[in-house]
Amino acid sequence: MLSDRQPRSFLEPAVLARLSGVPLVARRPMVGNVSGRHASPHRGSSVEFAEYRKYVPGDDLRRLDWRAFGRSDRFYVKEYEADTNLRLVLVLDTSGSMAFGSTKPAAQAGPQPLVKLDYARRICGALGYLASQQGDAVGIACAAERIVRTLPPRRSPAHLRLVFDVLDEARPQGTTGLPEVLHEIAETIRQRALVVIVSDLFAEPAELAGAFDHLKFRRHDVAVFHLLDPQELAFAFQRPTRFLDLEGGGAIFADPVEIAERYHAAVTNYLEALRRIVLEKGIDYHRVVTDEPYEQVLARFLVGRAAARGLR
Amino acid sequence: MTFLQPWVLVALPLVALPLIIHLINQRRFQTVQWAAMRFLLAARAMSSGYSKLRHWLIMLLRMLAVAAVILAIGRPLSRGWLALAGGARPDTAIVVLDRSPSMQARDPASPATKLTTGRQQLAETLATLAPQRCLVVEGEKLVEVPPAALADLPAAGPLAAAADIPGMLQAAYDHIRDNAAGTAEIWICSDERTNDWRLDDGGWAGLRDAFAKLPQQVRFQLVAFDAPPKGNVAVRVTEARLERRGDARQLLVSVTATRQDGGDDVTLPVKFEIGGVTTSVELELSGREAVLANHALPLGRGAAARGWGRVSIPADTCEADNEFYFVFDEPPPRLALVVAEEAAAGRVLELAASIPPSKELVARAESVPRSGLATAPWAEAAALIWQGPLPTGDEAKLVAEFVARGGQAVFFPPEATDDTTFAGVAWGEWLAHPQPLRPEQWRSDEDILANTLASGALPVGELEVQRSCGLVGDIVPLAALADGLPLVARVPDGRGIYFCGTLPRPRESSLAREGIVLYALLQRLIERGLEPLAGARQLVAGPTANAILASGAPDSRWARLAGPAGGGSTEAASQAGVSESAGRLVAVNRPLAEDLAPIASSERIDGLFRGLSYTRVEGRAGRGDSIVQEIWRAFLIAMLLALVGEGILSLPRRRAAPLVTPALAEAAA
Repeated sequence: MLSDRQPRSFLEPAVLARLSGVPLVARRPMVGNVSGRHASPHRGSSVEFAEYRKYVPGDDLRRLDWRAFGRSDRFYVKEYEADTNLRLVLVLDTSGSMAFGSTKPAAQAGPQPLVKLDYARRICGALGYLASQQGDAVGIACAAERIVRTLPPRRSPAHLRLVFDVLDEARPQGTTGLPEVLHEIAETIRQRALVVIVSDLFAEPAELAGAFDHLKFRRHDVAVFHLLDPQELAFAFQRPTRFLDLEGGGAIFADPVEIAERYHAAVTNYLEALRRIVLEKGIDYHRVVTDEPYEQVLARFLVGRAAARGLR
Repeated sequence: MTFLQPWVLVALPLVALPLIIHLINQRRFQTVQWAAMRFLLAARAMSSGYSKLRHWLIMLLRMLAVAAVILAIGRPLSRGWLALAGGARPDTAIVVLDRSPSMQARDPASPATKLTTGRQQLAETLATLAPQRCLVVEGEKLVEVPPAALADLPAAGPLAAAADIPGMLQAAYDHIRDNAAGTAEIWICSDERTNDWRLDDGGWAGLRDAFAKLPQQVRFQLVAFDAPPKGNVAVRVTEARLERRGDARQLLVSVTATRQDGGDDVTLPVKFEIGGVTTSVELELSGREAVLANHALPLGRGAAARGWGRVSIPADTCEADNEFYFVFDEPPPRLALVVAEEAAAGRVLELAASIPPSKELVARAESVPRSGLATAPWAEAAALIWQGPLPTGDEAKLVAEFVARGGQAVFFPPEATDDTTFAGVAWGEWLAHPQPLRPEQWRSDEDILANTLASGALPVGELEVQRSCGLVGDIVPLAALADGLPLVARVPDGRGIYFCGTLPRPRESSLAREGIVLYALLQRLIERGLEPLAGARQLVAGPTANAILASGAPDSRWARLAGPAGGGSTEAASQAGVSESAGRLVAVNRPLAEDLAPIASSERIDGLFRGLSYTRVEGRAGRGDSIVQEIWRAFLIAMLLALVGEGILSLPRRRAAPLVTPALAEAAA
């Protein structure tokens, strides 16, 4: 699948090969249209026993448990778990703020730093590939102040290529309207899906909480990759600086030495508020500093989910 | 504040260096594309007042540190808390020392007097300032001395004479003007007694203007020892006269003890020392003054009629007024010359002058016609009583010579006045008063109408004047009628020339009928006139004593019998003591004003220097710290404190937990 057409800069075969050993699983039952490796809310024909149910007229007599009838003189039907596939919806933040980057990955050559959008492409690309590999449907929505581009989830390899094309063509521009976009996605996707949001989340925490509530109400499994550049956390400037808003909101002149302390306090307050929200809403939240290898981030994400599935 | 190297202060604009660096730093900004604007906006919204205050405090402390370094390099001098006037090292420092007896007062807790403290402080101060020249005003001349020697200089030692501060400042002015000196600093050390400063002297305004017009800069520094001495008592002999008792003589001495601050009643042991014999008597002092009148000291049969003695009291906070010298002798004949054009008035005047105040005394009044003035016994006369037109020509010359050698003259008006002047005074018009006028004001504190020794007032106010003659010229009124017309006056320079504006006739006044005032007036004049004729004289230390002791033939030098020895006539005239020459005795003592004159208010003294560069420093006897001290260390300490404060304020506040490490992401996961 990776060999055809042009190579994707955000896909690293070695990384994908290593990550493919861990399945991408949903934390909530999914409603798929084909058999897959994800739990379904319906009973199915897998090998995993689920429960006994009293026989009612119309049930397939082949599913009667005759041993149980022999012991109890009652008719019971033996039911099994159903496995199905999932719908993976990747929400990629393409607002102007995603164009910021101060770090260069070790493997990268050239003067350009790794911007947050590049990092997000890699996460989205890898997840899309892994989901497609295990037969899940993959869709994508690029979000700025509104949904810029969208592809509904499909299972075909050809569709995955379209998803990769969208990732390739995504450009950072516009303001962040992530809460509104998430509301729209919650309304648009009728069936349960794993919604993976990759964004710097520069929005009001209260508005984000509302959007997460909406997604959860629609029974979607929500995972968030919160991308933060190291410089955005450290604010390690020495000279007076004129900060130009990447989302076109004007400029601010400040002496970093003077303002750093209060900046850090604002960041801390924001992260704390966000932490409370994701804990409260049960969001699979991952704070990602972009100087961390994305493979490590994804491995942590996948292993965490697989472990949770094993415990169930 | 004064600086030894004031040129360094041109670097003071460097104080703005931190501000300039801050502004330059602000201009060197970088532009960054930034995503997390919401945090920046939140940070700006959180900007607190303390943060801004800290920012400006840091800036201020940096500027203070720079200023402190510059000021320290300029070698600042401290001149006490109140002395903040600026000035650099002077080219010439002129020291005006008040060496009067009152400057020998001291603090009860310290042996150092005001004068020694002031000299010591000035010596240290001038050694620090290191002017090119250091001069001390001594009388009317200036003596150059090394600053360090000022503390031990004889020319800066204590005197019995009052100080003449305006006179010494005039000498300083003359020196500055004549020598075209550069920047001059005049250091005055005084206890601010009114008699030393002569506050009523009309020359102050001219002196102030003269200093103000000098092309060079002149600064005045007054070290004021204006604290009155506590518990000080001054003793003084007001009279010492011989009295004959049969074949024996006794000396009647009147002593006054005064103090300026009142206080509890004390018993003073007053010690008399005559011819090596010491006697003592106790004097009760309550209030401000006690008088021991006519204390009899028997001299014995064989004792000489002429002699000297000393009165002293125990030591207190001012040594200079604890003793008083006196001399005594048989009084000379009291001869008065009477020149009168009007016979009736002449008879009254002659009568009043010829009655001696004591039976032991011999008094005589000799009527002299104006044509016989040349042959009159001027050398023996004590007073001249003149009624008629004022003397002119040779007559005036004779009278002037008589007055110049110490004789006293009193003039009564002629019947017909004219424009003739004598000693700058002429008679005006006669005025007839329908209702007799009485004198309403007269000088009862001094001069010929003063109260008696027993503090009784002369009945001047009971006189009635029907006719009075005006006076034209520069006079000092001693008694004035109700309408302000002078009744008795003298010429201002104290040469012993008096005028009485009426006649002792019933038609003009009651001077003759109520003869007490006329008698006292004439007898006091005769008494004063006798002083230069007496074999023993009481002199007040100062120019008058100097003039007398300097006069006489070169071979008749004055020998010191008591008091500080050494020096010439000038020294003898300025120090309390007794001197003898050609059988004549003189006792030199401090002026009366030194015992009584109040301390002038600082406002009055400051007012004398209005418009001039003037600084006042409070001095205190026994406090030996220098008036001027180098205080660059204080500025260096201030700089260090400013830097430490800047460092503390610049320290970052306790930082939040690190936000940037992967551990954070792991913790979040």
